[in-house]
Amino acid sequence: MNGAHDLGGMHGFGPVERERDEPVFHADWERRCFALTLAMGAYGAWNLDATRYARETMPAGEYLTTGYYEHWLHGLQRQLIEQGLLTREEIEARMARLRGESDHGAT
Amino acid sequence: MARLEARRVEAVLRKGSSARVDAAVPARFRAGDRVCARNIHPAGHTRLPRYARGRQGTITQDHGVFIFPDAHAHGAGARPQHCYSVRFSARELWGPQGDTRSAVYIDLWDDHLEPA
Repeated sequence: MNGAHDLGGMHGFGPVERERDEPVFHADWERRCFALTLAMGAYGAWNLDATRYARETMPAGEYLTTGYYEHWLHGLQRQLIEQGLLTREEIEARMARLRGESDHGAT
Repeated sequence: MARLEARRVEAVLRKGSSARVDAAVPARFRAGDRVCARNIHPAGHTRLPRYARGRQGTITQDHGVFIFPDAHAHGAGARPQHCYSVRFSARELWGPQGDTRSAVYIDLWDDHLEPA
């Protein structure tokens, strides 16, 4: 698809900034997101190429203003929902609970 | 796919996996052939970047037979076919703004290419 991931030849992003001693993960949630994606890959409900496509479907504006592992998280959520393993409501209820909001009875 | 057990995770990740397919699929091109990347705009996954579509390049290497990601991403099977390293000159891709000595090598599959 002609998505925001296909950046080759585009102007306007500025220089590539190299980070000294760049860590593999910049936050613990990135490590968890990576591990969850690999674990669900091993579950066998989809293949590697499908995971790439799932990341590419992120809305273009969102894709360009979020980081690498946010793309991974978007892809993982999309596949979990598409395969019927989780619903969007279940994910949102869990996020609300983690934020300390009422989860309207979800467990 | 076999279930991945916790005790095998490290070994499996260290080994990695390959999309290479052991199948006798005839190659449509060989090293030195001039090719043109198809001008396609599929709604699904493709490994053919926009900036190379409709551009001419040269096959520099035949990597062998691999799963075709454009089909595999959408449950359309592996459609195994040859994957090549294709050289596109910077001038072909970017016109007069392209550096005369630079080129981009892109791994592309038979279904991405036409004879030039």
